[in-house]
Amino acid sequence: MTHLRQGFGGQGFSTQALFFCVVFLGAAVPARAQSSPELRAHHITINAGLLWSGGYDVGTATAQLRGNGSGPSAPPFTLFTANSRLKSTIAPEIRVGVALTPRLAIEGGASFSSPSIGVAISADAEAPPQELAGEELQQYVFDGGVTWQLPVSTGPRLALFVSGGGGYLRQLHEERTLGETGQVYYTGAGARYWLRGGHGTTKALGLRGDVRVNFRRQGIDFEDKMRTYPRFSVFLFVGL
Amino acid sequence: MTRLLAATAALLLTVGSSSSLAYLKLGALVNGHVIDATWQQQPIGYFIANRDSNGVTANDLRGAVERATNTWASVGFASVRFSYQGMTTAPPEGTDGRNTIGFLDRADLDRVLGATSFMIDATTGAIYEADVFFNTRFAFSVAPGGQADRVDLESVALHELGHLLGLGHSAIGETEGTAGTGRRVLGSGSVMFPLALSAGATADRVLQADDIAGISDLYPGAGSLMETGGIVGRVTKNGQGVNGAHVVAFNPETGVLIGNFTLTPAGEFVIARLPPGPYLLRAEPVDDVSPDSFFPTPVDVDFRVTYASRMVVAPRGGSSNSIEIQVLPK
Repeated sequence: MTHLRQGFGGQGFSTQALFFCVVFLGAAVPARAQSSPELRAHHITINAGLLWSGGYDVGTATAQLRGNGSGPSAPPFTLFTANSRLKSTIAPEIRVGVALTPRLAIEGGASFSSPSIGVAISADAEAPPQELAGEELQQYVFDGGVTWQLPVSTGPRLALFVSGGGGYLRQLHEERTLGETGQVYYTGAGARYWLRGGHGTTKALGLRGDVRVNFRRQGIDFEDKMRTYPRFSVFLFVGL
Repeated sequence: MTRLLAATAALLLTVGSSSSLAYLKLGALVNGHVIDATWQQQPIGYFIANRDSNGVTANDLRGAVERATNTWASVGFASVRFSYQGMTTAPPEGTDGRNTIGFLDRADLDRVLGATSFMIDATTGAIYEADVFFNTRFAFSVAPGGQADRVDLESVALHELGHLLGLGHSAIGETEGTAGTGRRVLGSGSVMFPLALSAGATADRVLQADDIAGISDLYPGAGSLMETGGIVGRVTKNGQGVNGAHVVAFNPETGVLIGNFTLTPAGEFVIARLPPGPYLLRAEPVDDVSPDSFFPTPVDVDFRVTYASRMVVAPRGGSSNSIEIQVLPK
């Protein structure tokens, strides 16, 4: 890796920072597997951390009255319109993975969050537009997926991976009196940074960051549409 | 044109609430308490008065009433049955032990399309006779697609049969003033809204969610209690209960609109028989129609339209925790 540092004139860029730049520019670097850390095949890794899940719309609904006109139907009369949005949230998450090979791992995760649904009221002939606090949900996600470590040179402590998977979504309305279920699918990428281990038989300890695009079907949604939203997470991981 | 909620005088008939506070229903004052006025024996037999009116025959009326009775009887979560007993020469008024439906010339009620009168057992609340008249001062129609400049008879029959079953008026509707002292319906969310749609309209042949919830509350059918939920709460102004506020529950997932009133001095309301799910609540004063159409005593209409701060869930087979909607004076 020394030649890369030299290429930047020794201005203090770390190898890891340089690697991020290269990856996000989409330029592949020749594999240098011998210098990158790897998961220990057939061993378990436990990840515990926090996630940030972006907000997304859950539907616009218009309260309509039957209009007054001849025949069986007439243009409806709008009483008001409600635009509902699930707000962003931060929540704890735990993931447990098993490395099938040094690069390929399967993992399962669980998270619990309490996002709120905000409601924007508009088009009410008798009241001004307004934002309602909405209600607070309880949301559980159980998912499973794979991570695959990219065969690119990242230095002795950093490794990048891509991920994908799907899971079960359970959302409970406030007061826990009504629940909705749905599915979450995701694709993303991330990085693991080994503070210890990553080579040989030393048990691993490190940091992990994930960036995902989540696709949510069903669950609480007033239009029953697929919703897309970003999700970031950071973990401390321990290899067993 | 008003569809009058009529009551036979001196029968202690009142518009009020049952002990559950649910829906505006006809009630009988028994020992100081208002209890639901309901039919305790079914099917409810009825006769058709053998009189034509302005091009509509008694047989046409029979057909329109039969369609309306079938509509009420088809509500899944309610248990209502009617039985046609035949034609009669008796007018649809007076006390004869028969439920009579027919045309009647009521020149004194020049804004009333039809009305329902009752005989109620003042000790039990049981309805044992009811008559429905349609005012011959108006031109009715039984044309399948409606008829311009004529009022759809089936629609009015469906509304009046709602009264005959014990339902009061619903306030889910918006109106505007017209020249003179009248009001015109802009939109209606219930067959039991007190003002009729314009002549030619046939939309009121179809029961709305509000009507279905009301009749299911009055005559609950099998599974009704377990498959529906309720929302309870209070409407307050300056810390005091608001009596007579109209609260509408709107499910943004299904578009269902079901309403009820605060029916106590503490401003309490119950909206029952809701399809389970989350609801937005909107409290409004009863100012689209004269409050007289709903309440025998004055109610508070001096407050602004206000939404509950959060959505409320009607749980299956249960009721929400109480929510307070704080309104401000106009």
